[in-house]
Amino acid sequence: MNPITPIINGMKITLKHMFMKPVTLQYPTERPKVAIRFRGLHALNVSHDKAKCVACYLCPTVCPAKCITVEAAEDANHDKYATVYEIDMLRCIFCGYCVEACPVDAVKMTEEFELANYNRKDFIYSKERLLVKK
Amino acid sequence: MVNLTIDDKQVTAPKSATIYEAATLNGVKIPILCHDKKLLPFGACRMCLVEVEQMKGRQIPACTTPVTEGMIIRTSTPDIVKARKMVLELLLLNHPLDCPVCDKSGDCDLQNLTYEYQVNSNRFTDAKFNHEIDYNNPLIERDMNRCVLCGKCARICDEIVSFGALTFIDRGIETKIGCEFEEGLNCEFCGSCISVCPVGSLLARPFKHKARFWALTKHKSVCGYCGTGCNLTLGVKDNKVLTTIYDENQGFHKGQLCVRGRFGYQFISSEKRLTTPLVRKNGRLVESTWDEALELVAGRLKGGSNVAALATPRLTNEELALFKKLLVENVGTKNFDHAAGYAHAALTEGFARSFGAAASSASILDIQKSDLLLVIKTDSYETHPVVGFEINMAVKNRGAKLSILSDKRGKLSKLPQAQTLLHRPGSEVAILNAIARVLIVDKLASATAVTIAGYAELVKALSGFTAETVATQVGISAADIKKLASDYAAAEKALIIFPAGQAYSGHNADLATAAANLALLTGKYDKEGCGVLCLSEKNNSQGAVDMGFIPQEGGLNALQILDACADGSVKTLFIAGENPLTSYPSLAKVKAAFEALEFLVVSELFLTETAAKADVVLPVCSFAEKDGTFTSTDRRVQYFKSAIRKSVHIKTDYEIFSNLVTRLGGAVPPTPALLFNEIAAKTPGYQGMSHVSLRKEGAFAPVATKPEFVAPQAAAPFTAETGKLALVTGSALYHNGTLSEHGEGPMHVCPENYVELSRADASLYKIAEGDLVTVASATGSMQLKARVTPRMPAGVVFSPYHFSEAPINTIWSGSPVTAVTVSK
Ligand code: SF4
Ligand code: SF4
Ligand code: SF4
Ligand code: SF4
Ligand code: SF4
Ligand code: FES
Repeated sequence: MNPITPIINGMKITLKHMFMKPVTLQYPTERPKVAIRFRGLHALNVSHDKAKCVACYLCPTVCPAKCITVEAAEDANHDKYATVYEIDMLRCIFCGYCVEACPVDAVKMTEEFELANYNRKDFIYSKERLLVKK
Repeated sequence: MVNLTIDDKQVTAPKSATIYEAATLNGVKIPILCHDKKLLPFGACRMCLVEVEQMKGRQIPACTTPVTEGMIIRTSTPDIVKARKMVLELLLLNHPLDCPVCDKSGDCDLQNLTYEYQVNSNRFTDAKFNHEIDYNNPLIERDMNRCVLCGKCARICDEIVSFGALTFIDRGIETKIGCEFEEGLNCEFCGSCISVCPVGSLLARPFKHKARFWALTKHKSVCGYCGTGCNLTLGVKDNKVLTTIYDENQGFHKGQLCVRGRFGYQFISSEKRLTTPLVRKNGRLVESTWDEALELVAGRLKGGSNVAALATPRLTNEELALFKKLLVENVGTKNFDHAAGYAHAALTEGFARSFGAAASSASILDIQKSDLLLVIKTDSYETHPVVGFEINMAVKNRGAKLSILSDKRGKLSKLPQAQTLLHRPGSEVAILNAIARVLIVDKLASATAVTIAGYAELVKALSGFTAETVATQVGISAADIKKLASDYAAAEKALIIFPAGQAYSGHNADLATAAANLALLTGKYDKEGCGVLCLSEKNNSQGAVDMGFIPQEGGLNALQILDACADGSVKTLFIAGENPLTSYPSLAKVKAAFEALEFLVVSELFLTETAAKADVVLPVCSFAEKDGTFTSTDRRVQYFKSAIRKSVHIKTDYEIFSNLVTRLGGAVPPTPALLFNEIAAKTPGYQGMSHVSLRKEGAFAPVATKPEFVAPQAAAPFTAETGKLALVTGSALYHNGTLSEHGEGPMHVCPENYVELSRADASLYKIAEGDLVTVASATGSMQLKARVTPRMPAGVVFSPYHFSEAPINTIWSGSPVTAVTVSK
């Protein structure tokens, strides 16, 4: 092969790219488009002003990273609800098993992916933080 | 044995077996829903359908059909699977299917079978049930919407518990399980019904929603309350005991428990447990270090014979043996005892002289082999409820005769054909003596009785106890005494049962001897289904006796120790787990003793009244946090392992004692396992036992008897002056000792002390149920809630002893019967 050919080929690619739309996302000024089935931060669904979660313990049971903590109690109407619902985002592997396991469609995964924080304890998402806001 | 074919496999089974039992014996699994091996066959659910070739392939229930020779059985043909699926579909038709919020999920037979048979859809549709859920009591929730009408709850409550709180009501599609007048459940709360319910209809409320079944680790253990020695499975999560779990293969009682064993576990993981050693400084108990506390204690223990010790028979055998070693060898004192000194007298003095061994000559298993049970005091049920279940079953299922001598009626007197002889309180020994005399005079005694040492002296000593004279003193007729004697003599196998304990001071050496005499006279001992069974009170009462933690030659007994504290001859008292301020007779005396003491050390789980008076309080472990052995009332030595890790700043009693041994200059004691080997080598009957050999199952320590007749002293009959009532103390069904005060279950159903009186006395003194009445004796007076019950005879009142808030020892100084006045 002519020793010059590879150089010309390389230059071709360079020249072509000079006139293409750049792929780099200028995060954070530019925002990515998140696919609808993206598995981001969890959220607890709300119905009738209450978390739908009935504290069945299926999500902590199925969770492979064992990062969900649920504690159940009985409310005044003898209904079961979660007094504690916590997810440790440092350990979560965003597999989505919890969503799949939930028998009452109480937990979902949102498009939220910006989870960085300064403190370890801030990665523990309590029930209040996870509840879907109106 | 019969030969049969199950699923093309040639097998044999006992003649009396059902197809289900034959299959289980031979490792073939047949699904069941309504069957329980403890209960009579019922055949309600049709899950266990099998095909029998001889019956033209018809589908029949395996759990109710007996096997016959040559039967050819198929247990899972496609037709059977189809039929079982249909059964499940029909059950699920009205079932709420709220598994996510149902505590049974994970341990639910219906759920498991639905999964196994892949019942994913239902061909039928119908409305769900809409029964009201019973939240009326704090221990058992009843949600009849989930019920599959297997009837197990109603059957166990009738067949074994003999309470009969539950039954089927209504018919057809309306059928449900209900209580009397369709009201809320109000029973003795043994929880047996919960344990057998295959679904989530009956649930333990103290555990409700606490954890999922699969998240619990299951630890086998031994109940820490009474001497029955029931086996337990503790459900543990995050190092906390959250519940007890039913295991139908555990123990002689097949997993059955009483209210205390099942619902009284909360003391283990209670927030109120002591967590650090406390030392009294400037009059106040302040937190301290183990080093400081133990150094202080060791310094005081150098006092030699001015040191005394009281231990609770809830400690393990190893701890009691080491404590004794510490006291005898390192401290140099002979003053130690347990259980107020008299609660073990039936064994240590009574049986010791009559049978030559400080142990019962019969076991709990003998109840099922006996033809006649002579129970002294109906309280035997309350003190040892699971022994009570055995009595229920013997009487109801096998038709054993039940004769009761008691100062009050009770649950046992309601059993079919039970003969209850109600006598004046405190006259048991006189009656037993009269029976013995009838046996001798009417020639009902066995021919060999005369050869037993002491026969002639006994005959002489009993001469005053003619049935007629005794009858006039005790309030039962001479004919009844004679009938009881002839029944006892006529029964091929007869067993005498009586409870002992700190509240039963009358159940002493004389009572044990008097009962033993009957067995010796008729030769009904050392044989299957015969003998005398003393139900000792605490989980390791028999162990404390076997370890020799009893008054020594030249040493003081428990009550003498208290006197010696008061007069200053004992200066340092080490109390390991006892709570004399509540459970020993005569509060004033105990208080005076503590007041005079120079130094009081208490090792305890909780800051009890007694611990609050101490100079040093040492926090110790409960049975769930340590390893060791307990010896049940019938000498079953049972090993148990810790179920949870102990918290960092507490120690086991064993660690404390061994630390003190070394501080006092002794050699480092061996580990509990090695010490147990030493114990086993020298304790009669324990030979060959070790922690390893006991790991799987407890073992009986056999009792070698050397019979001898001793004439028992009968107390003078109690006669109350006019206007006075006879107070008898005892145990309440829901409690055992003072430990159960820290169990939520027992406290939910029986939270405070009470005085139980007859309807006659209630109307005489114009007292209604629930009234606060003043009960006064010669030594004091106190206010108690009145309970008016039909079981008390006129002139007799009863009060239990477990409650520190209103301790009965305010008015009771240890006599079997106390004269009291009751007024509003
Ligand atoms: S699976 Fe759903 S209902 Fe169950 S605990 Fe998790 S979020 Fe709650
Ligand atoms: S009883 Fe069983 S099947 Fe029914 S809701 Fe409870 S766990 Fe589910
Ligand atoms: S708790 Fe015991 S006494 Fe009460 S209903 Fe159940 S089985 Fe019967
Ligand atoms: S409550 Fe439970 S044990 Fe009783 S009949 Fe219903 S399913 Fe059976
Ligand atoms: S308290 Fe006694 S009868 Fe009740 S479960 Fe415990 S050992 Fe058994
Ligand atoms: S288990 Fe045989 S009919 Fe229910």
